Amino acid sequence: MRILLIFLFVFGISHASDATIEVIKKVESLPSIAVEDSSISYDNTFKESFFKTIVADLNVLSLFNVDRHHRKTHFNDASVMVENKDADYVLRYKMYQDDSGALNVDLKLIHKEKNVLIKQYKISKKNVFMFVAHTIAYDINEYMQAPPVEWMKRRVIFSRTVAPQKTEIVISDYTLAYQHTVIKGGFNIFPKWANKNQDAFYYTSLDAKKPTLKHVNIRTGQSKSIISSDGMMVCSDVSKDSKRLLLTMAPDGQPDVYIYDVASAKSKKLTNYAGIDVNGQFLNDDTIVFVSGRLGYPNIFSKKIEGNSVEQMVYYGKSNSACSAHGDYIVYKSRESSNAFSANTFNLHLISTKTDFIRRLTATGINEFPKFSVDGDAVLFIKNYKSQSSIGIIRLHHNKNYLFPLKHGRLQAMDW
Amino acid sequence: MKKIIISSVAMALLVFSGCADKEPVVDERVQQEVVAQEVESVRTEVVSGEDSSIGENSMYGSDSSEMNMANLEKELSTVYFDFDKFNIRSDMQDKVTNNSTVAKGTASSYTIKLEGNCDEWGSDEYNFALGLKRASSVKKALVSEGVSETRITMVSYGESNPVCTEKTRECWAQNRRVDFKLLP
Repeated sequence: MRILLIFLFVFGISHASDATIEVIKKVESLPSIAVEDSSISYDNTFKESFFKTIVADLNVLSLFNVDRHHRKTHFNDASVMVENKDADYVLRYKMYQDDSGALNVDLKLIHKEKNVLIKQYKISKKNVFMFVAHTIAYDINEYMQAPPVEWMKRRVIFSRTVAPQKTEIVISDYTLAYQHTVIKGGFNIFPKWANKNQDAFYYTSLDAKKPTLKHVNIRTGQSKSIISSDGMMVCSDVSKDSKRLLLTMAPDGQPDVYIYDVASAKSKKLTNYAGIDVNGQFLNDDTIVFVSGRLGYPNIFSKKIEGNSVEQMVYYGKSNSACSAHGDYIVYKSRESSNAFSANTFNLHLISTKTDFIRRLTATGINEFPKFSVDGDAVLFIKNYKSQSSIGIIRLHHNKNYLFPLKHGRLQAMDW
Repeated sequence: MKKIIISSVAMALLVFSGCADKEPVVDERVQQEVVAQEVESVRTEVVSGEDSSIGENSMYGSDSSEMNMANLEKELSTVYFDFDKFNIRSDMQDKVTNNSTVAKGTASSYTIKLEGNCDEWGSDEYNFALGLKRASSVKKALVSEGVSETRITMVSYGESNPVCTEKTRECWAQNRRVDFKLLP
């Protein structure tokens, strides 16, 4: 009897930090935060935009109940506004333009009538204000001693189809509010950050006779060809140290996963199935996961880089055609209904390689392009629902999804 | 003791039933109202200054050769496929035979480029691979009809090259195809 109770207790403890287990936090238990705007420069439209971005970022932190009222006060007022008397935290900021035209933001976080955090930010162009908002949210998260949200400051690179055989490659912030087209014209797909610093990226060009992998250095603007293959060429993943790539190539019309060593420019074939093997992802230094059609439908498998045996990773879903891996976790896209074109078509699921649990991460619409953040704290994805495309953020440990609608275009692929 | 056992079994059931529930309700919060408003368009620059068009055409031959090639391309009919399949349907067999006759005859001096395409259901790598396997099936059929393997190149455009963009079954069926193109 005691053993059973002890077992249950240990079971509970051992699974407490497993991301595949859903965490349900009561909204009421979160502290409240209100935002006060003390800006002196800029018009109301811009003030409104900045306020909305800050509120959205604070929401995504999932640490607060965020008051969405846009209230204005003086920066140096000793007390918080009457309406915000009951708020646990008050974030007050002042935007002003200096002589050089740069956007400056002074900020204080007030808790129990004390300034607990005081910071200043400066950015040369005001049209990239969202990065200031993301940085503010990052700093507040750090002050609250929550697990780091490094991904909030990172940039997203994606390709979008603008016409048949015409695509653009765009760099944006994680909400896609800021967009900067880096490659225009031509047929260029599957962009991938080349390193952690995000100062270079890979992409596939389909304009040459053979699909070609290219490398672009963002700082210098220099572009060079890396490797070509007949039929298909995709950079599916870049190792943590940026020294190895997982490519999908098809030199004989046969798509397989290859590992490519950047320094020696040598590639080695990792899969041998006569059907489709694609989408290789580093699970760790010596193991990869990939998508294969070897069971007659696409599913997720793993294998050692040095070794031949292949292991099936997922036993749920009728068609699991894309995945992203981080540590022990794999997030994958799955078609659940047997009717190929029914409304509830693709959902994202999370599994752990250490347990048998499956957690469904999305509920409606077509959800694709799952991509773990660098620290594994969040999953970025694209949702298509009722003819509206959005970019979604799943906070795994907070059990919350946030959506930011896309303005135009259809996403082809993205990397975070 | 019995009571304790029953209650512990009930507890165990509670715990395990919680674990077995693999379809938890997910909190889908659409934060529509908190979306940042559109900012003025950002000045863009093109990093890749390379010539994006295929330059071979201008290097080879005259206008008449290009016209000849364009006319021959019209004689090569597109091969269509079923959803999630890359085998050649029986009703497409005649088209493949006809195309291989053209390839061996009047078009024998050209390279044949097979372009595999998919419908919009998924734009991931698997879909691209499916397009490629379709092109590969057509290549094998052409080779078995006597077309030299060295004259055939393949590429997959995934879902990025649709001929029809409506959201209907007929439209998706038109996009699951392999196009034949000629290269000098």
